[in-house]
Amino acid sequence: MAAGLLELGQVFAVLAIAGAAALRIGLSVIPLYVVSGMLAGPFVAGRFGVPYVSNGELLTVLAEVGIVLLLFFLGLEFSLDRLLAARSRITRAGVIDAAINLPLGIAIGLALGWSVVEALLLGGIVYISSSAIITKTLIDLGWIANDEADPILGTLVFEDLLIAVYLAVVTSLVLGGADAGVSGLGRSLAIAFGFLGALLLAVQYGTEFFSRVLDVSDTESFVLRILGVVVPIAGVALALGVSEAVAAFFVGMGFSTSGHRERIERQLTPVRDVFAAVFFFWIGVGTDPRLLPGIALPLAAAVLLTTPAKLLSGYLGGRVYDLSEHRSFRVGLGLVPRGEFSLVIAALAAGGSTTVMRETIPALAVGYVLVMSVVGTLLMQRADRVEGLLDRVRSDTGAST
Amino acid sequence: MTVYESDLPGVGKKHEIDLPDGSQLVVVTHNEGRREVFLRADPDSDSEKLFELPDRLARQVGTILEGAYFQPVKSQDIETLLGGDTLLEWVDVGEDSPIAGQTLGESDLRAETGASVVAVERGTDVIPSPGAETTIRAGDRLVVVGTRENCEDFQSRVDGT
Repeated sequence: MAAGLLELGQVFAVLAIAGAAALRIGLSVIPLYVVSGMLAGPFVAGRFGVPYVSNGELLTVLAEVGIVLLLFFLGLEFSLDRLLAARSRITRAGVIDAAINLPLGIAIGLALGWSVVEALLLGGIVYISSSAIITKTLIDLGWIANDEADPILGTLVFEDLLIAVYLAVVTSLVLGGADAGVSGLGRSLAIAFGFLGALLLAVQYGTEFFSRVLDVSDTESFVLRILGVVVPIAGVALALGVSEAVAAFFVGMGFSTSGHRERIERQLTPVRDVFAAVFFFWIGVGTDPRLLPGIALPLAAAVLLTTPAKLLSGYLGGRVYDLSEHRSFRVGLGLVPRGEFSLVIAALAAGGSTTVMRETIPALAVGYVLVMSVVGTLLMQRADRVEGLLDRVRSDTGAST
Repeated sequence: MTVYESDLPGVGKKHEIDLPDGSQLVVVTHNEGRREVFLRADPDSDSEKLFELPDRLARQVGTILEGAYFQPVKSQDIETLLGGDTLLEWVDVGEDSPIAGQTLGESDLRAETGASVVAVERGTDVIPSPGAETTIRAGDRLVVVGTRENCEDFQSRVDGT
């Protein structure tokens, strides 16, 4: 009892320090939470004989709640009407984004000699931009009031929808496919889509139920009722071998039509942020820094190939929105940071059966998110200088030809 | 004046207002209530942040801008545009008003002017949705809804001019 409480206390104290450091240096909290987890975990603190946080059940469950709440909010924000209203542009920009970045990641995985499923996991990790980091940076830099905010946020919405489908499929492939053969895979896919289909029907026709559940003025009851619906459903999903994240996403969609969306956002955001912080910490705790040198080469390849690819797809997405070259370029810069969802995919991969899934992909994803979250944020903060540099390069080459 | 409204998924809403000099005012309303106000000198330039207000303060400042506290153009009236040409207006009943002492039914104001009384402010009391039997007294303040023309007719009937 005492040991568990002490350990949890250590988690929150370390996270608080990491958050303060992020605030001080003006970077996103996500990489710092991950690094702090790594430092406080068994592989660093444990090796030096100081009290460390072990990768136990307690932390795993709390981190799991973090994943569930992250995806729940995604569903909450995701309104079908909103997507339909701007569908042609969002779809075009989103398809360009997916068509460039997802296959690139898969190709890198295949080039590394990985299996198709492993390569598909890498595809997802390099494809999905970080809504959390990007939205925060857009607000910090004031870009939120500029025209580039529309294609950036629109593309993020499209990515979020695609990632829900992606997670549903990949979870079945990772958890059900490897040892059970084709029939086992078919069965796990059938269970997944059966469960999610039922959930989707409940969401579609359950608006009244969701409104009634939330019809309470007391804040405490309100928060508890939401957690009392979303966490058990996610738990059932996981027990069936279905993605708990996608189940949470659907429940979020159900609550978004209840008419309580804004209140949920106001009152549950702090709850989500606390558990999400634990999730990032947990990712760090499970990462052995000694694995990082081993993945240096694929990491460098992934960073060097996927950064320009995201710049290009973002630029083209900006052009779809009829933005000027200058603003379209910013859309590209604005989509570079990767974060929470790449780590969700990595956590999923860690449950797989091959060494690549259990060790290489999580370590690679952590390294990749650390680099891309920092590089992406810096690129956005120094956008003017980056553009100036690009203009000089272009006029130089223009003059020489 | 054109106001463009757009959604900012995960953030809130954005309103862009064209100003007479060709610049644009951009108001970002965050889901948690905070308002950020930006100015964009022309459509191509970056938005420059002017200021930021928490929810409560933003509402108060909005009320001042709306003229509910002080109306420089027509200092006698307080009016609020409900949309289209419909106004919500406050009309004071003077000592020598011809309708003072009459009930709403007797005064027949709605039939004559087209504007209807939705509430009567009497000192610190408010009578919501007054009926035809409600008597109007000198010193009352009537809350009236109607088109601008209706409200002007109403005002002159109450003033007896």
